[in-house]
Amino acid sequence: MTINTSRLQKSTKPAISWIAWLGLVPFFIFGLAFEFLPILTTIRSSFTKDGLFTLEFYRQAMEPLFLRSFATTFKISATTAFLGMIFGTLVAYAIITTRNKFVQNLLTALSDVTTNFGGAPLAFAFIVILGSTGIITLLLKEVGIQLYPHFRIYSASGLTIAYLYFQLPLMILLIIPSLHGLKREWHEAALNLGASTYQYWIRVALPILFPSLASGFLLLFANSFGAYATAWTLTGSDVDLITIRIAALIRGEVQLAPELADALSIISLLIMITCVLGYNWLSNRAIRATTK
Amino acid sequence: MKTRAIWRPIVITLFLLFMIVPVIATFMFSISTRWDRTLWPEGFTLDWWKAVTSHSAFGLTLKNSFLASFATMFCLLILVTPTTYWMKLRVPKAKPFVELLTTFSFGVPGVVLALALIRFYSKIPLPIINHPAILIAACMVLSLPFMYRPVLNALDAIDFRVLTECAESLGANGWYTLVRVIIPNIMPGIISGCLLVFSTVFSEFTLTNLLVGTRFKTFPIYLVEFTRQDGRQASALAVISFLAAWVTSLLIIWVTSKGGRETTHISRQ
Repeated sequence: MTINTSRLQKSTKPAISWIAWLGLVPFFIFGLAFEFLPILTTIRSSFTKDGLFTLEFYRQAMEPLFLRSFATTFKISATTAFLGMIFGTLVAYAIITTRNKFVQNLLTALSDVTTNFGGAPLAFAFIVILGSTGIITLLLKEVGIQLYPHFRIYSASGLTIAYLYFQLPLMILLIIPSLHGLKREWHEAALNLGASTYQYWIRVALPILFPSLASGFLLLFANSFGAYATAWTLTGSDVDLITIRIAALIRGEVQLAPELADALSIISLLIMITCVLGYNWLSNRAIRATTK
Repeated sequence: MKTRAIWRPIVITLFLLFMIVPVIATFMFSISTRWDRTLWPEGFTLDWWKAVTSHSAFGLTLKNSFLASFATMFCLLILVTPTTYWMKLRVPKAKPFVELLTTFSFGVPGVVLALALIRFYSKIPLPIINHPAILIAACMVLSLPFMYRPVLNALDAIDFRVLTECAESLGANGWYTLVRVIIPNIMPGIISGCLLVFSTVFSEFTLTNLLVGTRFKTFPIYLVEFTRQDGRQASALAVISFLAAWVTSLLIIWVTSKGGRETTHISRQ
């Protein structure tokens, strides 16, 4: 395919390559103006004080107050990513092994739609069902389970449940192609060689799926790490997330050096980019069904 | 065999309940007189809907959200379609750079993007800080991949090179070829791109809140304000948001499935 097109291109268009690049200038200007220059300014200012290079803001960003925010963010992101990975894979496996085509399409479409849900409406929906007078809360009370005051939807555990609402479908969409890649023959071969289904999963299927599972975990982790709207609507600043801290610094609710917000942002950015790169690297190693 | 098959309906049912109950419950809550003491709503009413839609801010914020969504959609359309076509046709080497710019928002959290834009534009004398224009630019960054991907896929699905050569040999210039030949052929891609951009920007909260705050109130901002004041009216607003998300998503699924059929049709010819 690539050989084909490049030959065609050579035959029809002689080398005017650098002029052709001019056609992309508007796009690159946009990228420079709204992506790279702003980020570079932020990086530079996070290292600058009174015109001189400094690491002071990074030292401040490493104070216990902010380390705690990073730790909370890590904990919530890792929990939702892990639960999302496990349950998402389970549901995805149920979806692809269902013989009913209608159910399959319906559930895939449902995942497609709900993975983009988030923010205020989602947070509010969870207040309605799991708030102190929410319907699930009342229902559980009826059968003798008192959710409150041990559990609060406006807390880290509440936030974890709300995040799962978009993490679960994302994992389902990510893992379905890999699950399709698991050949039925492998299972049969393992059984013929005397393995149990349990052994097949532990020794054959899961090692094959590992890159897909790990890449899914990383993407879910990043997805939750950068999230802000859902957390802010649901918990205000009760749950100490790093995005909530940065936002408070931007709005000027906390009187601290703006460069501190820059440093916190750059650290978050590095964590996110690591996750996304890891996701890319692993998902290139993941198996996928060649034909659906 | 029978015992093994039973886990599947259980898993699927639990998943469906988890995904659907929050939405249904929010809707029921918005039409209930009271629903915080009993298992079933004490009565039904449309009062909350009437109340929430009668505020002047309701129409205004809805209008602002539509405005922001369509402005972002329009600007991205003008920026992305010619760029992607030109890149594929003449500068395939630029693809990694273009992809770096389009996937930027995957690696950059919303709060970081907002902070970076504020820090940069408060230093240079361009008066777009606190102006809706900076929100549109930020929303463009956020939804760039959603416009780029479908357009790229649609271009891959048609024989754009042959189409271009045909058009050029018949005397059409570059713009004419793009507008009259290429764009009609990649319409399904463009439409699903537009819908994805729409649903992203329509529900955008983080960037709006941090970049323009109360100066340009959009629907999600209005919703968050209400969740802290009046839960009943907020539930009606949440239902509207869910509805908007569902309708655009179903349209996208419909358009892409239709688009897929069309492209196979073309390739068979």
